[in-house]
Formats: sequence, C-alpha cells, structure tokens
Amino acid sequence: MKNNKINLYPPFLNRIYSVWYRHYKVYTKNIISNGLPPFLEPLIFLAGMGLGLNTYITNMDGVPYLEFLAAGLLLTSAMFTAAFECSYGTFIRMEFDKVYDAMLAAPITLKDLLVGEILWAGTKGFFFSLAVLFVISTFGIVPLNLILLAPFVGFITGVMFAALSLLITSFVSDINQFNFYFTGFLSPMFFFSGVVFPLEKLPSAIRPFAEIFPLTHSIRLVRALCSARFQWHLFLDLGFIIVFTAIVGYFGIKRLGKRLIS
Amino acid sequence: MEKNVIQIKNVFKNYGDFTAINDISFNVEESSCYGFLGPNGAGKTTLMNMIYGRARRAPGKESSVDIFGYDPAYNELEIKYLAGVVPQENNLDEELNVIENLKIYSKFYDIPAGETAKILEPLLDFMELGDKKNVRIRELSGGMKRRLIITRALIHKPRLLILDEPTTGLDPQVRHTIWEKLRQLKNEGTTILLTTHYMEEAFHICDKILIMDKGKKILEGEPKQLLDTQIESYLLEMTDKNCLQGTDSISNLIDGKNIRKDEAGGIMFLYSDSFENLKKISENLKPGCFYIRQTNLEDLFLKITGRHLNEKQ
Repeated sequence: MKNNKINLYPPFLNRIYSVWYRHYKVYTKNIISNGLPPFLEPLIFLAGMGLGLNTYITNMDGVPYLEFLAAGLLLTSAMFTAAFECSYGTFIRMEFDKVYDAMLAAPITLKDLLVGEILWAGTKGFFFSLAVLFVISTFGIVPLNLILLAPFVGFITGVMFAALSLLITSFVSDINQFNFYFTGFLSPMFFFSGVVFPLEKLPSAIRPFAEIFPLTHSIRLVRALCSARFQWHLFLDLGFIIVFTAIVGYFGIKRLGKRLIS
Repeated sequence: MEKNVIQIKNVFKNYGDFTAINDISFNVEESSCYGFLGPNGAGKTTLMNMIYGRARRAPGKESSVDIFGYDPAYNELEIKYLAGVVPQENNLDEELNVIENLKIYSKFYDIPAGETAKILEPLLDFMELGDKKNVRIRELSGGMKRRLIITRALIHKPRLLILDEPTTGLDPQVRHTIWEKLRQLKNEGTTILLTTHYMEEAFHICDKILIMDKGKKILEGEPKQLLDTQIESYLLEMTDKNCLQGTDSISNLIDGKNIRKDEAGGIMFLYSDSFENLKKISENLKPGCFYIRQTNLEDLFLKITGRHLNEKQ
C-alpha cells in the first residue's frame, strides 16, 4: 500500500540523530562519573608502564616504548568503550530497562535505532581516543603531528566494535555470557593486535591469525599516523575495516531485529 | 455513526507451534475507547504490538490491518507517528528528570527545541505533574511514573493512544484520575485502545470490549449490553465449603429453578436471573455464610474464560 501522502514522520537522518541524542543526554547527565575515567585510565596505565616496564624496554620498533604503547592505547580505549556500549549497554537497554520498547514506539525503525546505537558508540570511541590523546600529549609522550587525527581512527574503531558487539549481543540470552566475549576475544586482541609489541615478532605460524583480529587493522592506521609513513597496504587495512563492519553490522541488525520485532 | 479508523480482519500470529493470535477481527470507531480483556497470555499485548509494527502478523491473503488508512506491514513509520504508546512496563530514563525525559522524546517527533516548553508544560499540567518538572525519576511514586509515561505518549498529540495495562498496580485515586484523563482525551477526539485486567476499568471507560482467551476472540460488544445478554443478573456466592444446613443437597435445591452452578475450590457459585429463587435457596444456608449480589463484568469474564489457571498464566 504505497501512497502519495506527504511523509509526516521525520527523515532518516533526524531519526538517527534522535537516538544518538537520547544516548548523549543520558551519558552527559553524569558528566563526572562518565567523563573523568577516560582520562584517568590512560594516566594510570601509562604511569604504571612508564615507571616500571619503561626502564627495561626503552625502545620498540624504533620508537620509545612508552610512545609505542600510547599509540595503541588510543584505540584500545575506543575499542573497549564501544564494545561495552553495544554489549552490556545494549543488552540492559533491551532486556532490563526496556528502553528499546519506548524508542521503538516512536516513529523510528529498528534499523534507525541500531544505526543510531552504532554511531553513538563510534562517538564514544572518538571521545575516549581524544581523552587518551590529551593525556599522552600533555605528558609529551608523543610528538604532536598527524597523531592529532587519531580520534577519527578511534571513531572508526568504535563503529567497527559496536557493529561486532551488536552481533554478539544477538546471540546472548544471559548477560553473564558477555564474559566470554571480553575474556575470550577482546582481551587476546589487546595483546595480539600490535598494541604491546609489533606483530612481526610473532611466530610466523601464528601471524595470519593476528590478521583476523579487527583491531590489528586499526592499529596499523594509527601507527601510520604516528610515524607519518603511509604505504599502499593501508588501503587493505581500511578495506578490511569497512567490509568487516558492513558484514557484522548487517547480520547484527538482522538478528537483533528478529529478537525485537516478533 | 463515527467511521471506523481501525479495521482488523482475520489476523493470525504464530510463534513456532504456538498460536498466539487465532483469527481475530474487529473494528474501532474514531474517538472511541476499545478495550482488550483476557487472562495473562491470551495474546492482548501481541495484538497491540501488531497494530504499531512491533509484531508482524502471519502472512495471509485473507488477513488485513488498516490503521487510519495505513498498514503496519508497509507504513510502520506513519502509524508510529500518529499513535502514542504506553507500554506495560515502565521504561523511563532513570538518570534524567521529568522534563528531560520528555525532551528526548520530543526529538523523535522533530519538535523544535524552542517549542518543547510550550508543548510539554501544558501536558504536564494536564496529567497533574506540573510541579514535578525537575524531579528525578527515582523520586517519583508509581502513580507519577505511570502518568509521566502517558504524558510521554501524548507529546505529539496522537490521534490514536495505545495503552497496555495503564493502571495495573496503582491505587484507586490514581486509577480514577487516569480514567478521567482518558475520558477527556476521548472527548477531544483521540481514539483509545487499551488492555486491562480490571473489569471495572473496562466497564467505566470502554465503549466496546473484546474478550479474548488463548488467542481467540470470545465475545465483543458494549460492556453493559454484554452484561445484560451474556450472564445471569444475580449471583449467590458462598463463602465457605459447608454452608448447607438441613438435609437437602444443593442439586436438589436448585432443581427446576433455572439456576447455573459453578464451583471452585469446593466453594459454590449460583447464578440466576431471579433474585427470588436465589433468596429461597439461601434459606437453607447458614446465616453469614453467603451473599447475593448483582453480577458484574468480572463474573462474565470468569464465566467465559474459566475459574482455573491455564499453563500460560
């Protein structure tokens, strides 16, 4: 039943913005408890590493070890915040707080809702990267150059892990099952995606597996910014991120759709 | 006669082998209040969800859903834009205060930020929440939360208001206030759909009710008319298992008097259109062990859906 009446409801971008705005308002309501930890976390991490490890390992892949770590931290913080937002956060909104029931009664579609969620998680990724950037540049850990663009890679990383987390959430029936996702997938990624040491140091039999980890590709982008050395294969990394996000996002939205709209 | 703004024809819904909605049809007139009654698990919420696209009806050529000229299978957004929904469970944003809760939902309807105050303040006054504007959600009572959710559903002046158990768990004052507001909205032209477990609620505010059980439509009509035609006028309700005095059994006593007997947990209920006949029987009962009263919608409901729990309740 197609009709020629004027559309009364808001256009696509406004609908997505409404979802984003709802999350923004709720997040910024507790600005101290939500906004301070992103700054404290890198501070603590880098203080611990800097005071301890840094005296043993002074150089990694041609840069001071602290600088090497800091560049990785720009994205792991984005990864974790986006993953939390679209796993525990999404699950709580869907099953416990019933926020989705309220939002889906407003004139938005399920796709609008979940695309809004993903973009919001990307925004948090941007903000968390920005917080890390602020800390590491304040302490002069990294030279201020192209790395100022890192929060945009944080955004892309956030979007990618938000899409992945939505897909994971679509399989989860009990909130405790997220433990497997965090311990079994995200934590290993922290260690085997080139955050704490270069992947070239991995045994050649294991190296291909690191290529499957989505974070590996984000890390390459941010390291390229850091060193201002750009090679053609960065397009492969960018391509991986885009294709991976599109595929997991598609199936995540589809599967959650079945759960939310019976 | 008003025109039908909701027309549901032969809809079905299955979840695997389970049939949640089994061939339901009904029409709702503009600016009237239509109520769904039924035990838990009867399919009331599924039916409501189907109307605004939260549940999809089973495909079938015979079935159709028409909501103000739109079909939720194709025009989900149009329907959501003209309808306001009050879900069964409270789902306010606990982190925010009253006015902030409403403001974030104004965005969903493209209401310009500059106009929200102009729209929201009269609405809050209407729902008697005017002095709670800046109060946090967790400080609100159950009745206030419910009224706020109704306010949220009214932000965009919906032509259709869908309420899933609007007054469950609320005290009588709040319940009556909500009924009064709903009546007022109806008089101003809003069409109202609601589900309820309170027969009194259905009787007071619904122009028409549909009683359903196990996904099927059982009865439909005006509450008063259903009472007149579908159930005896009076009920003798015993309050104890051993009410009889004398030697006659109940079956002997009611024999030939046109009385219907129902029993639950050993307690007897006798229905009749004749008050006199019930009175005569009561002479054989111990004093204080029974009472005779007019039947109400609840009796009708129990008559047609049974006094015993089923596996879905």
